Amino acid sequence: MKGTELVLKALKDKGVKYIFGYTGGAIMPIFDEMEKQKCFEFIMSRHEQGAAFMAQGISRASVGTSHPRTGVCMATSGPGAMNLVTAIADAIMDSCPLLAITGQVATGVIATDAFQESDVVGVMMPITKQTYMPLSVDKIEETIHEAMYVALTGRGGPVVVDIPKDIQLQETDASYQFNPETYEPELPGFLYSPVPDRDRIRQAVALINKSERPIILCGHGVITSTAGKNLQKFAEKAHIPIAFTLHGLSAIPVDHPLSLGMVGMHGTVEANRALLNTDLIIAFGMRFDDRVTGNLDLFGGDAKVIHVEIDPSEIDKNVKTSIAINADTGMALNILANDHELISRPRRIWFEQLDVYRSEIREATQKEIDTGIGTQGELLMKTIVTRLSDITGGKDIIVGDVGQHQMILARYYNFQTANSWFTSGGAGTMGCSLPMAVGVKLARPDERVWSISGDGGFQMNIQELGAIMEHKIDVKILLMNNGYLGMVRQWQTLFYDGRYAGTPMKNPDFEAISGAYGIPYLKVTKLDQIEAALKTAAGHKGAFMVEFLCDPSEIILPMVPAGGGIGDMIVSRRT
Amino acid sequence: MMTTAQTKRRAILAVMLDRSGVLNKISSLIRRKMINVDTITACPTQQPGITSMTLTLRENSDDKALQLVRQIEKLTEVISAKELDIDQSFWREVAIAKFEADSEHLERLGRNFNFEILDRQNHEVIVAQVAGTSQMIDNFLAEIGPDKIIEVARSGFTALEK
Repeated sequence: MKGTELVLKALKDKGVKYIFGYTGGAIMPIFDEMEKQKCFEFIMSRHEQGAAFMAQGISRASVGTSHPRTGVCMATSGPGAMNLVTAIADAIMDSCPLLAITGQVATGVIATDAFQESDVVGVMMPITKQTYMPLSVDKIEETIHEAMYVALTGRGGPVVVDIPKDIQLQETDASYQFNPETYEPELPGFLYSPVPDRDRIRQAVALINKSERPIILCGHGVITSTAGKNLQKFAEKAHIPIAFTLHGLSAIPVDHPLSLGMVGMHGTVEANRALLNTDLIIAFGMRFDDRVTGNLDLFGGDAKVIHVEIDPSEIDKNVKTSIAINADTGMALNILANDHELISRPRRIWFEQLDVYRSEIREATQKEIDTGIGTQGELLMKTIVTRLSDITGGKDIIVGDVGQHQMILARYYNFQTANSWFTSGGAGTMGCSLPMAVGVKLARPDERVWSISGDGGFQMNIQELGAIMEHKIDVKILLMNNGYLGMVRQWQTLFYDGRYAGTPMKNPDFEAISGAYGIPYLKVTKLDQIEAALKTAAGHKGAFMVEFLCDPSEIILPMVPAGGGIGDMIVSRRT
Repeated sequence: MMTTAQTKRRAILAVMLDRSGVLNKISSLIRRKMINVDTITACPTQQPGITSMTLTLRENSDDKALQLVRQIEKLTEVISAKELDIDQSFWREVAIAKFEADSEHLERLGRNFNFEILDRQNHEVIVAQVAGTSQMIDNFLAEIGPDKIIEVARSGFTALEK
């Protein structure tokens, strides 16, 4: 068999359905073989970064579904591969499995600065779980199988397989054998210890039983190990409040009585105050990112820390643990949720205190949402997102971009469905939403998918409207247009004396753009148009775009200033 | 920002699959953590396909060193990595020195040090190999005298736990 056939065979054997990509000189043979075999649904992005984010959408949204977990994208050598870099760096930050297959120039000219040659292995190495370059045709299948195993096993992450063009075209000889059924990767150094240590669990339970003011931090690992139900059971049984990291949101319904909402830089008052005053942090599948902890020297106080995490290199990295449980979060929660030693304690004083935190800015926030209009007379994103949440019952899938609207979604959308919130967290890549939503929709075709961006992020991957048009992807696009890079503007308002350097933007006619791609469009400028527009978009079969004219002066509070501790949280605007 | 001098010397012993790129990964990880490497040595082990690598570096923070070891260990090719306890391990290196010495000087060196003469050019220029602790090699070179040394190559450390 030819190298190209083996690439496709390996992907077919792994159950791959969709390939996202962009062709070019060094990957043409694989595309040619795909055309002959017509074995995948091919989605052509308009930029390689878009293809990688689409593949991420598949990976992120297919958790807990029958769809294979690892999204696949393809690009040619040189600029094609380099255009993947941002989305691959994004995937490693968000523990998102992803397979990128890139064409490379022929082995005879590698490292001679050949046309469209880049050192893909060298560039990708620090931003992937593993990078491969098979150097003979009989290594191709094995490499792809190993790559898929590495991407998905343990903490997820991206892998790159860079295949020189001559290797793609090589033929195997008669002695070639590979059995995908019996194949097991030979990786003696691959760290994967999913089973929790029973003694540690026992110690953890003892600590939990003793705690007066515990708090659960629910991270991304709860979602990727489909452990939401067990988390809820555990929290209910032991009576412990839950705060969520950005990627932990939608693990359980966010309006659950024990939920404190999101924690961290733009977290809720109650989650942040609880974290300041807790005596025991029980962290599941998270990595104590600086957006969660604020200044580490001011984090945690005397609280003890139980850290359940599949990646051993995350334990004690930022926050010292009292009990470290290096294990699969799902397995640990399954044991904890059914642990007979765990006692339910009312913790009345703690919960009364939490109620005080909860009420601190509740009224002011509600008033702002009800007003719906900012100081410059335009719409507030808070109000739009609250309406969206009401109309969908919090049951639809939300794919957020990066910035103010993202934090507002995280704070004001009432997530009800497990794993229904996707965005770029660790890397904070503007422009992720539109292409990611394409992959999400393909992985979850029966659910309604909303892609929500600001005017800055939307224009970073606006070209993917082409893919949406061509492949008739039913995504509802909401554009929160305030004519600024809102989050940076917010920092400028709060910390740079209102000098708006590089944030105001003259925008194009989005209606005309939407029309050019054949996507129906509505513009919303007034409060009383919001609901009808959202309902029209929701009810429309196929892609739909709604542009909201938003108030540039809106800020999202609370906010923990960069470098500050959680206690330095800004709760209300100084006027 | 003031940078503090990193004075605590450490050795990390890592065992890994002999695959291309792994040295690159380890060195780029160390660079990313802004640690300066003193020496790196790598050699095949008794087991085919498995390489052992000894790194020496300076880092004052125990936490940062532990984190580095864990991140090295996380690399797919790395089978194990640990920091060696200085008092519980042997550290040795090899040096090859080219120097000038007359027979009297050579005799004196021979009384104090164990070394092997690899080459002797014009009777006065010697190429010799010496192996041992870092201190011993320093002493050997001092004894030759800096003005007599033409060239020195040192291997960097290799280490083994007791």
